[in-house]
Amino acid sequence: MRTRQPVKFVKYLLFFVLSLGGVTSLVAQEKPVDGGRPLAVVRVNATTQAYDFFRPWGKKPPVSRRALGAVLSGNRVLVAAELVANQNYVELEKAASGEKVAANIAAVDYEANLAVLIPANPKFLEGLGQLNLAGPVKTGDRVDIWQLESSGTLVATEGLVTTTEVGRYVLDDYGFLLYRITAAMQYRENSFSVPIVKDGKLAGLLMRFDPRSQSVDAISQPVIDHFLKEAASKTPHGFPRAGLQYQPTRDPQLRRYLKLNGAAGDGGIYLSRVDAGTSAAKAGLQAGDVILEAAGRKIDADGNYDDDDYGKISINHLISTRHYAGDSLKVKFSRGGEIKETTAIAADRQPQSFVIEPYVIDRAPKFILLGGLVFQELNRQYLREWGSGWPKDAPLRFVYMDRYQAELFGPDRGKVVFLSQVLPAQSAIGYDQLGYLIVDKVNNRVIRGIADLDEALKTPVNGFHKIDFTTDPRTIYLDAGTVARDTQSVQNQYGLPVTTRLAE
Amino acid sequence: MISRLALLFVLTSFAAIVAPEPVAAREKNQTPESRAAEVEKSLVRISCTEQSADYKVPWNPGNIGGGIGAGFVIDGQRILTNAHVISDARFITVEKQGDPKKYVAFVKFVAHDCDLAVLGVENPDFFKGTAALQLDGIPELETTVAAYGFPIGGDLMSVTRGIVSRIDFQPYTHSGVDNHLTIQIDAPINPGNSGGPVMQDGRVVGVAFQGYSGDQAQNVAYMIPTPVAKRFLKDIADGRYDRYVDLSINYMKLLNPAHRAALALKDDDRGVVVTSVSVAGSCAGVLQPGDVLLSLDGVPIASDGFIELENDRVDMAEIVERKFKGDTVTFEVLRDAKPITAKVTLKSAWPYLMQSSSYDTAPRFVLFAGLLFQPLSRDFMAAADIDDLQMRYFYNFYVSDELYTEHPDVVILSNVLPDPINTYLSPFRGEIVAKVNGKPIRTLDDIAAAFVEPVDTYVIEFIGGGRPAVLERSVVEAARPRILQRYNVTKEKNLENPPAR
Repeated sequence: MRTRQPVKFVKYLLFFVLSLGGVTSLVAQEKPVDGGRPLAVVRVNATTQAYDFFRPWGKKPPVSRRALGAVLSGNRVLVAAELVANQNYVELEKAASGEKVAANIAAVDYEANLAVLIPANPKFLEGLGQLNLAGPVKTGDRVDIWQLESSGTLVATEGLVTTTEVGRYVLDDYGFLLYRITAAMQYRENSFSVPIVKDGKLAGLLMRFDPRSQSVDAISQPVIDHFLKEAASKTPHGFPRAGLQYQPTRDPQLRRYLKLNGAAGDGGIYLSRVDAGTSAAKAGLQAGDVILEAAGRKIDADGNYDDDDYGKISINHLISTRHYAGDSLKVKFSRGGEIKETTAIAADRQPQSFVIEPYVIDRAPKFILLGGLVFQELNRQYLREWGSGWPKDAPLRFVYMDRYQAELFGPDRGKVVFLSQVLPAQSAIGYDQLGYLIVDKVNNRVIRGIADLDEALKTPVNGFHKIDFTTDPRTIYLDAGTVARDTQSVQNQYGLPVTTRLAE
Repeated sequence: MISRLALLFVLTSFAAIVAPEPVAAREKNQTPESRAAEVEKSLVRISCTEQSADYKVPWNPGNIGGGIGAGFVIDGQRILTNAHVISDARFITVEKQGDPKKYVAFVKFVAHDCDLAVLGVENPDFFKGTAALQLDGIPELETTVAAYGFPIGGDLMSVTRGIVSRIDFQPYTHSGVDNHLTIQIDAPINPGNSGGPVMQDGRVVGVAFQGYSGDQAQNVAYMIPTPVAKRFLKDIADGRYDRYVDLSINYMKLLNPAHRAALALKDDDRGVVVTSVSVAGSCAGVLQPGDVLLSLDGVPIASDGFIELENDRVDMAEIVERKFKGDTVTFEVLRDAKPITAKVTLKSAWPYLMQSSSYDTAPRFVLFAGLLFQPLSRDFMAAADIDDLQMRYFYNFYVSDELYTEHPDVVILSNVLPDPINTYLSPFRGEIVAKVNGKPIRTLDDIAAAFVEPVDTYVIEFIGGGRPAVLERSVVEAARPRILQRYNVTKEKNLENPPAR
């Protein structure tokens, strides 16, 4: 039953390791960078240790990585956020002298994959150069990818920007503008989070590299710009999310059915889903509406608009990156052929607001051990423990609930608590094959979070804890008088540091 | 269970033979050779040409194949064999030892749920000189048996010998969803043994039918025991096969002391608790979740769901297994700590057939505007390349979540034959139809009916949202001959033989 393969979150960070054995060609495009200017990069050493969602009482082994950071004005160092995800310790290291200092994370956004580090000693960055942000990068531009030799010498590899488009960053479901760059890069130590520079200014950060196709995906300048502006504000917000799903309206039979002609022009996107409680829902948009214009920009039938800098690009960029949380966006839409207007207030969405959270980073999994029974809150971080094939390998019901959570759950659903596994123990005899069961009620109280479970366990019914699941076997019982003692003995037997974690 | 199924192969390269193996004392008097000579008179070699349905292109007649299997003569000028030897048959011939002639045979009865079939032969002369074999009971563990058939390695009858290793409920891979009593033997049995008798003391103790391939397990072969074969023969005595009946409930073992105490049960190792009752099954309205089943037809049920039957410990299902449609069973039940008696009239369950392999039936489908609609089924899933989460959900939870109450057929837009009228609809491949023109689609017949409504526009909505697919009748009509001709479509729908519900 449990053929789980613990998976490293690190997997997302591995782009460079892949190239260890490959890529020996095309070195000619490399050149040392002019030594006259002070170096504007530092080494970043990060030790991360993710929680183990299969064994929620503990953490996985620590992993140390060396990377680069771009030195910005204001004593800041910019890195890709995945470098410091679940970090225990981060330090900065000067390339030339090897001098080191601890660093704190001043701002981080895992969706946009960016983090700002601040050295513990404010004088540490003195004497180093600073990178300013470049302007827009266009397809066909040449950029330099900066790496450090082990000697500390800065080497730039020239790359050609082949595509600028909205694509997936590191977390599924989170797409932003990215640059695809063709470059013949060499593997070097700490070649992670590498700055991409245009005319001496920071144009992006390396996010992925595929050595076979020699293709780099880079976090783009507008995303960095947005992130830094939010990070500097008094009340930083994440990137806005519209809270809707859309489909193209090219099909002429669909257009006639939706009465999309005349005033509607030839564009528009069909809203196939509007998530409750999001900006789109608050603006009165409904599934079935066709958005024709947003923020004064015409939306074509495929969901693109004409961006001043990047040309035809997904509406996603307009909403998530061009605008900030709190901005007002005028939206023109068609409902049943009638043209209407509304105003949407752009808003970010914290992962905690989802029933099944899309990611849990820097936060510990909540759980309760009861006898041998382990109860947890369901989130995608748990599902990711099945590895890159999790959508196929993780329990089907959970994957289905995650994918269709907007349809399945109302806005007040709270969280999904489930029995993840049973550690064989006295109180769990006969229950040891149970697992992946969603808890509906405990002691007749509805369970919508691990805190509910903790509360419900204080009031046993007739001396028993009655646990109701949504599926077979429906109901099981534990002896409320002895289960606490059994939890204790499970903790001792299995050497668990804690038996309960109610808060992250 | 699924992973286990994958390891089993059906012994269906179609040749089977049995050599009965005398036990201990008798062995001295009678040599295996003389036994073989007796069985030779009963053993039948079956050649079958089959045509399997094409679920990807359902109007196609299907691929033609064939194979060799074994069978044996039983009373009434009949031949007993495996269902999988003659599934999807188009032409069957039988041969017997010492007769060069091939006789044309036909299927009299087939039971795909227990992998058995009875054949007749057009020319009754076939049975001259043959001897009908008798079905015996369940052999003892560790006793010797012999399997007869026509496995790979030669053309003539083969005999292999082994012992009875295990008697247990096991999945029958032919249907993929049924579990019945099986007997595991360690006689080498190979493709071609299928349908052949397994003998002991000159009497049949089983029908060889499936095993593990050598790279999975050594010497693990299975035979259908005689209670299953006898039940089949009894069922067809009225001229019709009614399929197995079952309870269609799930229950949980009551091994946990706190669980037992909470249900006010004594510490006597008796009883299992009902966890779900299928609304389409025999127990609907009679049993309910939370009921504790204490005995079945007077036989005490142990806390692990086993019963004592004819000196064997077997799954309590075995009592139901031996019954027929319309028979009753009686449970002694503890409901809310009070004893009651529950009488259940047995019937066959239909929902699980969706997850079962089907044979001898043409795929159902509707083709409209180049859009192919098919009901979700095991065969469909096996043929489709679609690996859609929603479809997997509907398939896997169709029975347990009772999705069949809303969707007796889960109607899938399985393919789009590209044409200018549907070129924007290709992303809809794999979607499940919810409504057409506002009417819920519960069965394939519903969608067929919706598409003959004389409306201007057909609006197809899918489960899980998304935009509707819109088709204008005038456009569809104009494109119809072109699509049929271009894709060589010989038939636009098949609604025949829907599952009995």
